[in-house]
Parts: sequence; C-alpha cells; structure tokens
Amino acid sequence: MKFSSILRYSFLAIFNAGSIYLIPLIVTFESWFLLTVLVFVTFLINFTYLTDKFAALKWITPGIIFMFSFVVFPAAYNTYVSFTNWSTGHILTKSQAIDLLEARTYTPDDQKGVEFDIYIFENNTDEYYFAADLAQDQLLFGKAVTQDEIDKASYATHEPSLKSESGEIVTPDGLKLLAGKDQINKANKLQELSLVIDSSTRAQLYKISVFGSSTGRLLSTSQRYTYESEYDSLIDNSTSEVCSSDGDNFVCNTESVDPGWRIFVGSENYKKLFSNQRIRGPLELVTKWTFQFATLTVLLAFTVGLLLSITLNKEKLKFKRIYRALYILPYAIPAFVSVLVWKGLLNPDYGVINNWLDPLYTFFDIEPIKWLKTKESARAAVLLVNTWLGFPYMFLITTGALQSIPKELTEAAKVDGASGVQSFWRITFPLLMVSISPLLIGSFAFNFNNFTLIFLLSGGGPPVIGSEVAVGWTDILISFSYRLAISGGRGNLFGLASSVTIIIFGIVLLISAISFRYTKRLERIYGNI
Amino acid sequence: MGTFNLVKWFKEYGWRHLVGIVFVLFAIYPILFVITNSFADFANLANSKLIPDNFTLKHYKKLSGDSLVPYFRWLYNTYKVAIVASIFNVLLGTLAAYAFSRLQFKGRRASLLTLVIVQMFPAFLAFVAIYLLFFQISDILPFMGLGTHLGLILVYLGGSIGFNSWLIKGFMDTISPSLDEAAKVDGASDFQIFTKVIAPLARPILVVIFVITFIGIYSDYILAAIFLKDKNLWTVAVGINTVFVDDFNADWGVIAASSVLAAAPIATLFIFFQKQITGGLTAGSVKG
Repeated sequence: MKFSSILRYSFLAIFNAGSIYLIPLIVTFESWFLLTVLVFVTFLINFTYLTDKFAALKWITPGIIFMFSFVVFPAAYNTYVSFTNWSTGHILTKSQAIDLLEARTYTPDDQKGVEFDIYIFENNTDEYYFAADLAQDQLLFGKAVTQDEIDKASYATHEPSLKSESGEIVTPDGLKLLAGKDQINKANKLQELSLVIDSSTRAQLYKISVFGSSTGRLLSTSQRYTYESEYDSLIDNSTSEVCSSDGDNFVCNTESVDPGWRIFVGSENYKKLFSNQRIRGPLELVTKWTFQFATLTVLLAFTVGLLLSITLNKEKLKFKRIYRALYILPYAIPAFVSVLVWKGLLNPDYGVINNWLDPLYTFFDIEPIKWLKTKESARAAVLLVNTWLGFPYMFLITTGALQSIPKELTEAAKVDGASGVQSFWRITFPLLMVSISPLLIGSFAFNFNNFTLIFLLSGGGPPVIGSEVAVGWTDILISFSYRLAISGGRGNLFGLASSVTIIIFGIVLLISAISFRYTKRLERIYGNI
Repeated sequence: MGTFNLVKWFKEYGWRHLVGIVFVLFAIYPILFVITNSFADFANLANSKLIPDNFTLKHYKKLSGDSLVPYFRWLYNTYKVAIVASIFNVLLGTLAAYAFSRLQFKGRRASLLTLVIVQMFPAFLAFVAIYLLFFQISDILPFMGLGTHLGLILVYLGGSIGFNSWLIKGFMDTISPSLDEAAKVDGASDFQIFTKVIAPLARPILVVIFVITFIGIYSDYILAAIFLKDKNLWTVAVGINTVFVDDFNADWGVIAASSVLAAAPIATLFIFFQKQITGGLTAGSVKG
C-alpha cells in the first residue's frame, strides 16, 4: 500500500471513530440538528475519500463541508427556529425541562424545627467544619459547604471521638473551635454554610449563642415535582396539586411553572409579526427605514462619488493623484474604528461638530442639536457617517467607468452642437449606469444589512417609546432582529428574531433576482450600442 | 489680461480644485483629528482640538497598562483569528478553484451557480441559528463551542468557497493549460500539478484573496460579538466598542490611541493592495 493511501485510511478511521463517539453524546443532548450536520459531514467525507471515483469532489469537499455546516445548515435551522417558540423560558427540550423540574426540592413542614447543639471549627485556610450533636450515637462531623457545593460534598460521618467522657467537645487537630463571639463576627458567612447529612438532609446554623453552644437546625428536602407521563402532567408534592401541560409549560393553579420547553408553533411568530399591532407597528417602522436608509445612503454616496470623479476627470488637472489618494482613505479604515471616531465627533456635549455649529446656534438662537439622541438627528448622523464611509468606493468605481467611456462619443456630440450638460446626461450618464448599476444594487444590498454601522453608531436608538419590543428610530431589520434575539433587555426571543431574518432573506432574494434580470437587460442595451 | 486668465482658469480648473479641496477636508478631517488627538496632551473630548499644544505618548502607555482594558490581548486575538481563518479560507478556496478550473465533471456549472446563489446571503443573516447551534456544541464539544476562538474561526470558514473560489478560478483559467498538459506528459498527478504548477502561478491572486479575507475578518463585528463573551477573548472590534461606550469625554485620548493602533495596519495593507482589492470587490465580494 502506498504511503498516501495509508495516510488517507488512517485519517478516515480517526474521523469516523470521532463521529461514532459523538453520536450518542448528541443524542443525549437531543440536538437533532447537530446530528444531521454530523451525519451529513461524515457521509460526505467517506463518500469522497473512500473511493477514487469522484476526483473533483476530493478538491471541493473540504470547502463544501464548511459551507454546508456554517452557512446552508444554519439558514435551514434559522427557518426551523422561526417556527418555534424558542425564547427565554422556552430554551430546553421537554425532557430537559422535566429533568430540571424534578431535581427541584422543597422542605416539608413536618421536617422543619428539629433543633440540636452545633459546634463550629475553623482551619487556617478559612474553611469551616460543623459538628452536629443530634443524638447519643449521632455526632455528625464534616466540612461545611456553600449552596453551590452541596451536590459535590461528601456526607457527614459519626465521630464519637469528638466528645470526651465527661461530655466536653474535643477539638480535632489542625482546627480551632469558634467561640460564640467569633461566630457572631462571621455570622453572614456561617449562615450560608451547611453540613450535608444525606441526599435530602442538611444541618445549618440556626441560632448563635454567646454562652454555651449554638443551636443548629435540620433542613430536610424532598422532591418538589414528579412527572406523570401517563397524564402528561406534573405533581407538585408541596401542595399535592396536579399541574397539567398547556403545550409549552406546566400550569399549576393558573400559574405557569418556569422553565417551559420549546415546541413547534407553526406560523405563530409570523402571525405575531403581521397582526399583533404592538409588534407589527415597530416592524413596519423598521422595514420602512431600512429601505429609506439603504436607498438614501447609496444615493448620497453615489452623488458625492460621481461629483468628485467628474470634477477630477480633466486632463492636465494638477494634484489629481493626490486628491485620489486622499479620497480613498475613509475606505481603508475598518468601519468599526471610523464609527467609534465619528461617535466622538458627533458627541452632543463635547464633540467637534457641535463646536463648529455653535456660532450658528447662537446666531439663530436655537438649541444645539442632540446628535444621536433624537430621531431626526440620529437618522441624519447615520446617513452622514455612511456617506463618509461609502463615497470613496463610489468615487473609485465611477472614475473607472468614466475612463472607460470612449472620448469619441462625447466629442461627436459636441460636433453635433450638444452642450457639455446635454452630452453628460444624454451620453455619459446612461453609459455610466450600464456598468455601475449592478454595483449600486450590490451596495444597496450591503447597506440593507449594514449592522456594524447602525449598531455601533446609534445602537438602533433613540428608542421608540411605548413599543412592546426593544426598537429604535434608526434600527434596520438586522439590528432589530439582533436586539430581539440577543440584547433587547427583554429576554432572548430567538423564534421571533429568526422570523424577522427570514423576512430579510426574502428581500435579499428579491434584490438578487432583480439584479440578475436588470444586469441582463442593461447588457442587451449596451450590446446594441 | 490677467483677470481674464484667472476667470478662464477658474472655469477650467479652479472650481475643480475648490470642490476637490472641500471633499479632501471632509475625507481626512476625522482621520487627522483622531491621529493628532491620540498623541495630544489633553485630558478629554471637551477640550480636544485638531492641533494640540503638546504631544505625549501617555494614551498609548495607558493602553498597555490597564488590566480592565486588555487592549493588546484583543489585538493579539484579532490577528490570531483573522490570520488562521484567512489561511484556511484561501487553502479551501484554492482547492475548490482548482477543481472548477481544471477538472471536467458532471454538475460543474450547477455547483458554480449554487456557490454564487449561496454567497448572496451573508452568513451573519442566520446569526440566531449560528448562536443556537454553537450553544448546543458547547455542551458536547466545549473547546469549539460558543465563546471560543476555534468556533468563531469555523464560522468564518463557511464562506471560503464562495466568491473567493470564483476569483481564484478566474485567475487559474488564464494560466495556459499547455503547462499542466506538459506536466501530465511527464507523469505528474493532479496533486502534483496543483502544488508544483498551478498554485505557484496563482500566487498573486492568492495573496490578494488572503488580504481581502483578512481585512474582512479583522473588521467583523456581529459574529465576534455573538461568539465571544469573555473579555480576554474579545477581538479588537468587540473590545473597543464595548468598553468605550459610556464616557467618551474622559476616555477620548485612549479611544483615539486604540483607534489608531487598530486601523493603521489595516489602512496600510489596504492602500498597498488598493488596486487589486477594489478590482476584487467590484467582481463580487463586499468590504464592511
């Protein structure tokens, strides 16, 4: 066998072993989508590299795996999520939620109130040990742990050696018995600790006594909820209530038990988006602004870029190269930096822009503009900054396009008696649009989802007062969706957020389709000239 | 005579310089402002001005010594993620491009078309799904789950065979097939033709694709913001836009210094490769 084959088969063996190892793990976590991805990837890799039949696939498969795993599958998963109630309180699968609920405990009334003497020891690393004198043959001793450590703590053991024959408590080596006074000083900390006796019982410090020994109390806990699969309901053992499921939550006495679980809800999210007035309002507002923003921003940047390329499109103009080099600079800087800097310039209280405008404010006796704090100023600021970011690109592409238009055409027009303006609008501009318009559509599509600019400059704000979901006057669809899912301050509404991104998918698809047709049409026109 | 010439000069050239200079000021003012301010010896935004009276390096020094703002850690993270992701991006893209350019197979046109269609939808549109998917991966394979650089790099590799492959394929098509036929006659395998003939000849485009990808990943905000929750793992885009949000006035000097350090290498790279990058951009992919 050749070395390369050995390498290939060992790789396949290791890879498949890994997959087989992962499958049961994924099944336990019920991540069915992940399972699909893994099975697909495993299948594709074996299909490609096990035989020599598909030579081309060998080259393409590595890229395809990543494209499918992290672009195509997420897109499909996104669609699925948009049909679920996936959100804060409905993150888990049903069985995960039941497991979590069944692990909850409570202290039954008859278990409260058993009291006993408790002794507290400290070692020199700030750890504490309790000795609970429960009965003659039950002097329980062990390390006291905090709430978080209870699951991992070992149970207390009976230590008769801690008591001398005369009934005095004996301090073990390396420990120090805490007197009542010391206990009071550390009361806050000590009250957090408990001695674990068995899986459901703990001993805690209850009352500190300065003279004599302090009092401890037993805390016995029982399982709070039991799930009855036969009736698909939860029994609340503390009240003996039966809590039936309402689909995605158990309901005890009209109150939902948190957490619920995620389920398929059909078109619920879309219905919410389109018919719930308090969500539909914000969505309409955001959609409208997204189109306005993308259109205006392309228009403004294009106008400035074209103006500059026409201005500089003159033979023998001095410093042309210097101008060009400087115009490109805003484009060379990462947007996340530019936006941060502009935020400083636009700062209403200390920024340079209000400094400049100050004479105007004084002259016209008007309030200084609260940049980014009001609807109009925020929208204007977003457009201003995006024009700054975008005009260099427009300048570059229009310059290129202008230079590629044959001079004979404009010269011929001049001979026929056309003025400069006429020949520009009748000849240069239409020809320019042929080569530029696909790029303008591309720029529109890019700005339609220009999350970085909006989110970092205005955060989508200022907020629209009185809407049910977090939304601001400069939010575009993608930032709106981001706030629903990640940072809206009202929980993670994954289901609703992904239905908004599905709307974006739809619009992007439409734009692309138009762009394809439009480009073809323009090519025909161009071909006829 | 002189006046006449001036009017004529203005009509021909003068106004062009006027418009030109106005927009030069518009274009470079914010840049100059942030550069001078990063060296300026004043405390805050309120008393900042374009040309400071005294220059100092104190803002840069502050950046390196503040444990609450592990700025150089962020820079390191950004370079690490962007370089690793770009290398693999180019590698995967080149492999696919070779097949599309040199091998005849069924479904070649269809796959190329699929790539274009898939590429029209930016990967971050499915950010909810990416977040939830990696949230689940965290349970099973914590080293590549949410909050890890590896996970983020994997997501960035999702776009490796889109437009990149197109551009590389386009370049490979211009390499004369007689070269690989000659190699084939000499008994070279596909793999040898790729490593010995095509890939070395395609090096100019590979460098450009690497630079475009690197700048794109360096500048990404949304995916990095979703992925990275630990301050010490943030990229610089996430870091400076998370830490400096509350008190612009007091932080201005440090904001300026961190902006300059984050932008300068990228701007240099961009200007150096400007022609090729804008060529690539007009052919399809977009810079953020």
